[in-house]
Amino acid sequence: MRRSFVLFVAIAMLATVPLVVPAQSSETLIRNATVLTASRGTLENTDILIRDGKISRIGRNLSAGSGARVIDATGKFVTPGILDAHSHLMLNAINEGSLSVTSMTRIRDVLNPTDIGVYRALAGGVTGALLLHGSANAIGGQSSSVKFKYGKPVEDFVIAGAPEGIKFAMGENPKRSSQTFTGGQTPRYPRTRMGTLEVMRDAFERARDYRQAWADYRSKKTRVPPRRDIELEPVVEILEGRRIVHAHGYRSDEHLNLLHMAEEFGFKIGTLQHGLEAYKFAPEIAKHGAGVSIFVDSWSYKLEAYDSIPYNAYILWKNGVNVSINSDSNERIRRLNLDAAKVMKYGGVPEQDALKMITLNPAIQMGIGNRTGSIDQGKDADIVIWSEHPFSPYAHAEITMIDGEVYFDRAQDRSRQAELRREREELEKLEVNRAPGSGGTPPRIPAERVEDDLGEHHGEIDGGHR
Amino acid sequence: MKLKLFLFAFAATGLFAGGSVHAQSYAITNARIVTVSGPTIERGTVVVRNGLIHAVGANVTAPSDAQVFDGTGLTVYPGFIDSLTAVGIQPPARPAGGPGGGGGGGAAAAAAAATAQAGQSNSNYPVGLRPELAAFEDIRSNEASIEANRNAGITTVLSVGRTGIFNGQSALINLAGDSAGAMVVRNPVALHISFATIPGQYPGSLLGTFSALRQMFLDARRLDEVQKIYAADPRGIRRPDDDPSLQALIPALQRQMPVVFTANRDIEIIRALDLAKEFNLRVMIAGGQEAWKVADRLKSADATVLLSMNHPRRTTAAAPDADPEPLELLRSRAEAPKNAVRLSEAGVKYAFQSGGAPNAADYLTNAGKAVEAGLSRDAAVKAMTLSAAEIFGVDNRMGSVEAGKIANLTVVRGDPFARERVITHVFVDGQVFEPKPPATPASPGGPARPGATPGAAPGIPGATPGTPPALAAVGGNFSITIDIPGQPLTGTFALTQQGASLTGSMQTQLGTAPIRDGRVTAEGFSFTATVEFGGASIDINVRGTVTGNQITGTIDSPQGTVPFTGTRNP
Repeated sequence: MRRSFVLFVAIAMLATVPLVVPAQSSETLIRNATVLTASRGTLENTDILIRDGKISRIGRNLSAGSGARVIDATGKFVTPGILDAHSHLMLNAINEGSLSVTSMTRIRDVLNPTDIGVYRALAGGVTGALLLHGSANAIGGQSSSVKFKYGKPVEDFVIAGAPEGIKFAMGENPKRSSQTFTGGQTPRYPRTRMGTLEVMRDAFERARDYRQAWADYRSKKTRVPPRRDIELEPVVEILEGRRIVHAHGYRSDEHLNLLHMAEEFGFKIGTLQHGLEAYKFAPEIAKHGAGVSIFVDSWSYKLEAYDSIPYNAYILWKNGVNVSINSDSNERIRRLNLDAAKVMKYGGVPEQDALKMITLNPAIQMGIGNRTGSIDQGKDADIVIWSEHPFSPYAHAEITMIDGEVYFDRAQDRSRQAELRREREELEKLEVNRAPGSGGTPPRIPAERVEDDLGEHHGEIDGGHR
Repeated sequence: MKLKLFLFAFAATGLFAGGSVHAQSYAITNARIVTVSGPTIERGTVVVRNGLIHAVGANVTAPSDAQVFDGTGLTVYPGFIDSLTAVGIQPPARPAGGPGGGGGGGAAAAAAAATAQAGQSNSNYPVGLRPELAAFEDIRSNEASIEANRNAGITTVLSVGRTGIFNGQSALINLAGDSAGAMVVRNPVALHISFATIPGQYPGSLLGTFSALRQMFLDARRLDEVQKIYAADPRGIRRPDDDPSLQALIPALQRQMPVVFTANRDIEIIRALDLAKEFNLRVMIAGGQEAWKVADRLKSADATVLLSMNHPRRTTAAAPDADPEPLELLRSRAEAPKNAVRLSEAGVKYAFQSGGAPNAADYLTNAGKAVEAGLSRDAAVKAMTLSAAEIFGVDNRMGSVEAGKIANLTVVRGDPFARERVITHVFVDGQVFEPKPPATPASPGGPARPGATPGAAPGIPGATPGTPPALAAVGGNFSITIDIPGQPLTGTFALTQQGASLTGSMQTQLGTAPIRDGRVTAEGFSFTATVEFGGASIDINVRGTVTGNQITGTIDSPQGTVPFTGTRNP
């Protein structure tokens, strides 16, 4: 009881931590760390010099300029920042559930940079994510690749130059299996798995026609410009290989059908998302060249999610598939390091390849593997300093930095708690912040839990995302 | 009863027949005159003739034919302007959920109502995505809240409906006149957009709202282009389809008509500015509770803010086991009154609006909070007069006490920003009203005060000829269950009905929220409330019916539409 109260207070405090003022320094030197590079093995007693947001040098006994911030990381572990290749964090809307093709929607439009979940993710060593539309539609909305620059304006979150992406979905969610239609509501097409595939095929056919219409206009065959169609423009980009498809699905037959359809239309699927049965056709996935983004050991939460095994990651890895481990959850995102540790247990994926599944592999899936995801000279300084080996259940992220700037500092966070408590006390005294004297009985459940519970319902109403 | 009414009407007519009804000129003498456009005149005279300000000055004398008001101890201001409200708008009656439906019946009825409405228009777009809707069409000179607003010293409002993604096109109206046409100062003024959704269809989420707006603006731009190509040489081209909805967006794309986005949180304002930039719109922000946080962006976008004076405050009750409110939210409420002074410092143009405060008198009192927070009194007065007139392009006609301008004047005893002020006279288009402080507050339908106005009858609730006699009786306390699939939410409605207006609060696990825009029709009731959910404020629209002790209806939110049912508590 007492313990849960302490936990509650801790969570409540975390919920109120304001924007951390990122410490800006053009040079930072991390000294004497155990560096898990995620690309070139583990380097003991190693220094990392960060200059202008990039990893400038890696080695022993490096020196920095006089104004540099020096962090003594003796006994600590350094990894690349964790990336989550399937998240719905910081979104004010997840699903446009009304239509079966919602490629016109853009996650970029609904980013909420002050979502406290971002700060919590930073506290778990996560520096960025692929923010995806939900899975209510055969073709969903356009995704956003972001770095968690908490405290910065929204446009600073978006990774400039990152390839564009889009959500696809197959199975129970787009065919609306768990949707009940009350009087007056028309069930939405498609209602079957074959219908879902047809909706995708139809969109590709329409996109081809659309592209042709513009080609005709540009070659002056027609005088009137075609209507700009923001639904079909991203589909044209898929056909031309300029937009990465992230395809939610569970059953192997369905995902395989999707790979075949993509091949028929001449493009590649970027990632299979969830892919709980991906182990069943790992060679085919490898041959197509798609990545897979999975949960390590979460299944049985709906009918099509039963036939999975904890060796999924291992089998895919063994077949040469690029595997990432995602959270798809604002809560689980904070513990992706432990999920990566599990793939060492199940099958025995080597440590570095396990670490890659939450760093370099998701970066490659997002199309930003050339600039982040590993500790290599010239890459973005997206770095986490851990108190222990990150695969230890006792490990804490102590410092999380993005582009060389500190966005989470556990020591600073602790020292600010008293200050924030005082500020809160003052603010709560103000009339505008006082609860109305009368007016109904108090809410029965804490707001924190209301949000989570309703969040789940929100998912159900709109078509879900898992 | 009837006799009484007749006697009253007779008395009212008798009272003013000799005075104001036929007098076309007035003079307020010995008054302090805050001209706004020039220096304040400590002791002077304002002459009103034929609806216009005839003369102003320290040395002006009252004409012999003028009715003279001794302004000793009074201050004359330009008529106060509420730069965004729904005052004057009588929404068309909407069918409410059928009685006894329960379960999905409410949703079905709501869907049927939407379909019925959709059938009344040739627009290719659903209700909620029709920018061609003109608020003017729904303005009625006898709308119930006009008198209350006028009595609160407000002479002019920018009025537009609050529903839909496109709320429609606003009209600037004076709060007196025999017809909507007589009240209009400028129409249309602006196109209004809310980041709302259309429950049950596309766009059903904030994601879809942006893409739907984007596609419509693109389509409107193309329609404009194609129409020009066709006009230049129609041979060999299929004629473009006429589309009133897209046509209505063309003036906005050509920057002839400003576009007002309702946006309060900083991120909402940023989204509005981004969308406006994408289509090169003349952008205004309505609400703007966190405008100060993005003042630099507003300034560089040359955006104007119609700043709500209905400053946010906590509406949820305290609970021993509830989590503390986010610090960000506590800060936001504390900072809101400082908004105006900070926008002034940043050089952002703004005018005040009432922000939907349920009581018209709160507008001035709430503006006083901006003064308490550091705004100069002159700046506050200007934000309710000349600045608004400038923003709406009518500053050559109103907004200051100057000869030749429309005779809109608010005469005040005491500090206009203090709750104790007395509005002694209100001039609207040269017509004088003398509001009396309400002797018995909240007694609509009772013996109305002699409002010192010719044709006062339309303003008296219950005496309006056009009012349907049988309104539904919906007052009471109800225990309700909101039918969210899988986890029903329980709560209560505390509804107080006064004629066609409805006040009170709704309480759920999300907290207690006061209800707004509460209306009762013959069929049922509707109201709006704002619930705080995950740190964000979400507007919900509630519609329902009461049969005996049973209540049933639907709740529309950005998350979708859900039915509710309940019973009256004894």
